[in-house]
Amino acid sequence: MSVTAMDSSVARSRFTERRSTRKAVLIWSFLAPSLVIFLLYRILPLAWNVLLSFEAWSPLKPAVFIGFDNYREMFQDDDVFWQALWNTLGIIASAPLGIAIALGLALLVNSNIRGRDVYRTLIFLSYPLMTVAVAIIWRWMFDERVGLINYVARSLHLTDQPIPFLNSFTWALPCVIAANIWQMLGFYMIIILTGLQTIPGNLYEAAEIDGANSFRRFLRITLPLLRPSLFLCFVIGMLNSVTSFDLIYVMTNGGPGHATEILVTYIYKLAFNQTRFDYAAAITVVFFLLLLAVTWGANRLSGGNVGAVEYD
Amino acid sequence: MDRRTVLKTGLTVAGTLAMPAYLRAQSNKKLSILTWNIADQEALFKEEFEEFKKANPGVEIEWLDKKGPDLPAFYQTQLVAGTAPDVIDIQGALWVEWAANGALLDLTPYFQNDPAFVKLFNPDYMSSFVYEKKNYLVPFYVAKTLLYYNKTMFKEAGLAAPPRTFDELLSFSQTMSNGEKTGFLTLNFDWLYWPLMKMNGIELLTPDNKKPAFNTPAAAALLDRLAKSTAAGAINKIAWTGRWVEPNGAFASGTVGMLQAHSASYFFVKGQGRWINPDTLGATQAPGDWSTPTNHGFGISKSSKNPELAFALVKHMTSVKLATRLAQIRRVLTANTEADKAGLESVKSDDPLAYAVLQTQLEHTDKMTGNWPLANDAQIKEAFWPEFQNAVLGRKEAKTALADAERAVTRVLRRS
Repeated sequence: MSVTAMDSSVARSRFTERRSTRKAVLIWSFLAPSLVIFLLYRILPLAWNVLLSFEAWSPLKPAVFIGFDNYREMFQDDDVFWQALWNTLGIIASAPLGIAIALGLALLVNSNIRGRDVYRTLIFLSYPLMTVAVAIIWRWMFDERVGLINYVARSLHLTDQPIPFLNSFTWALPCVIAANIWQMLGFYMIIILTGLQTIPGNLYEAAEIDGANSFRRFLRITLPLLRPSLFLCFVIGMLNSVTSFDLIYVMTNGGPGHATEILVTYIYKLAFNQTRFDYAAAITVVFFLLLLAVTWGANRLSGGNVGAVEYD
Repeated sequence: MDRRTVLKTGLTVAGTLAMPAYLRAQSNKKLSILTWNIADQEALFKEEFEEFKKANPGVEIEWLDKKGPDLPAFYQTQLVAGTAPDVIDIQGALWVEWAANGALLDLTPYFQNDPAFVKLFNPDYMSSFVYEKKNYLVPFYVAKTLLYYNKTMFKEAGLAAPPRTFDELLSFSQTMSNGEKTGFLTLNFDWLYWPLMKMNGIELLTPDNKKPAFNTPAAAALLDRLAKSTAAGAINKIAWTGRWVEPNGAFASGTVGMLQAHSASYFFVKGQGRWINPDTLGATQAPGDWSTPTNHGFGISKSSKNPELAFALVKHMTSVKLATRLAQIRRVLTANTEADKAGLESVKSDDPLAYAVLQTQLEHTDKMTGNWPLANDAQIKEAFWPEFQNAVLGRKEAKTALADAERAVTRVLRRS
């Protein structure tokens, strides 16, 4: 190789290197503001929260390192923590129920029924409503004295006495779950409807020619091709369920007793009603790990590519 | 001007502009005051602030009002940030924790320097703001529980007068219960149900506040009786599951014989119950004359840069003039003796029932309970109440519930 050719090759590689460095700098420059915000508002508080969970601290007292005492209390002595954890898992488990109802509704409004656009709009309307408004509406619906549900139940002679739904240890959690599902139904339906409309019609035609009945077509074509949409619904629904602080705060405030307490409401109460920021931090760490585990599980079930960017 | 000066000036200006308005108010001759859900008195407050400013030239006042559930969280974040408002209106027992943790200024020296000011107030209400022999709050407006009773239901059940003993309370409740009708309800937050325990001689803690004292055979027997009365419909279940709207609303519906609640409930109940008039609603002391207070008081943050000025503002806000106007407009009692007399006088002819209700607030002020000065009140409450609730709703044996509550309360006390 001649000297000139070598020089030219070195110059080209330097040029490529410089270009890729410039590109990297450009990319990092664009990312930097978001990363700084993410670091300041997510990573640092998270790290501080983890640290706090190993300390005894209140706003006016210096922090004292206490090791795993907060965790020991949580797992060994705190019945409310366990109840809040089970309630949280119960609410997470209710997400598939909402998705199943939404799937049925989506199939219905995807068919050629009259006025389907009106139905789509009506079902979707619950989603853009503010959660606080949803909570207030349902609180009134479940009211013992003036609630619509008690009125209907008594008019139909289903019960002699009004049922204090939100003040009942038996009914309060199912009622909150019902309100939560109702609010998310419109969102699930739109996601599933979009998924349904991307399924090529010729697959159904071919299956029909092969003699598959409508149930088999649903089982063999619709469900498998809807999997990404269903998992998206599940992940969003699950995250929405475990963080539905406002719905529970307004509807029951975690009561009666701790019948509707979930981890987020319990964390808030510990920190701001009982000034136990240290113990609340320990529960937050457990809550964070729970969320990580559930999200990881959902991601694995969906094939490990939820939220992945697809390149053409 | 060199570059450093320009930079310094720029940073100072930017810092001042970026600083929250009420943080700026902490600078010299500026006061910030945080009140608890009393924005409806804006006109009165603004007028009084103007008057205070006239009397104290150069003073600026920043007023913030927060709703009940928001105020404690807000104040705590401000404490952590070192920007706590100078003056704060606190309800219930929250102040004890803040006082114990050094957030509030000890007002005892101010009281000692101004005995005439202290004499303005009912001593029982005044003493409910003492922690470890130090005064931390000045009464702003006060309330304690009383027994409301539905005279119509009493008449229908053949009952001539309200109960004077706990046994009568339960037996009257049983007599009045029928179908949808129940005999008794109580509010249950902030220890408002504790008079029921006290009238049976049950104490929460030992006199030194170091150990639980409630796990006794008498307490178990009482919880059993309450559970049985609840199961039989004599006591409405909402007494143990509702908070404010539910029990008051249920009583307002006219199907509950008695309601143990504080004076503020009267206005809520009256607003909802069309049946309410002096012939149908009675107001009296609960058996044994026991009651639980839910008072509001003004305290001063220890971090205040102008404690003298802040105390002057507290004095102004609790003066006879302002307290009288507050008592007349809001129909509350202020523990300011002269103001309350004037307030009651104005209510007497306008609303005789409100007069009867408010009158109970000035009687037997020496028999208040549930207002222990405990630095960990909220935690003890949270340790005790769920087990009490389990027992009275029949979800747990009374003895087991009390033993579990004792363990939980002991843990809280040990932690402190």
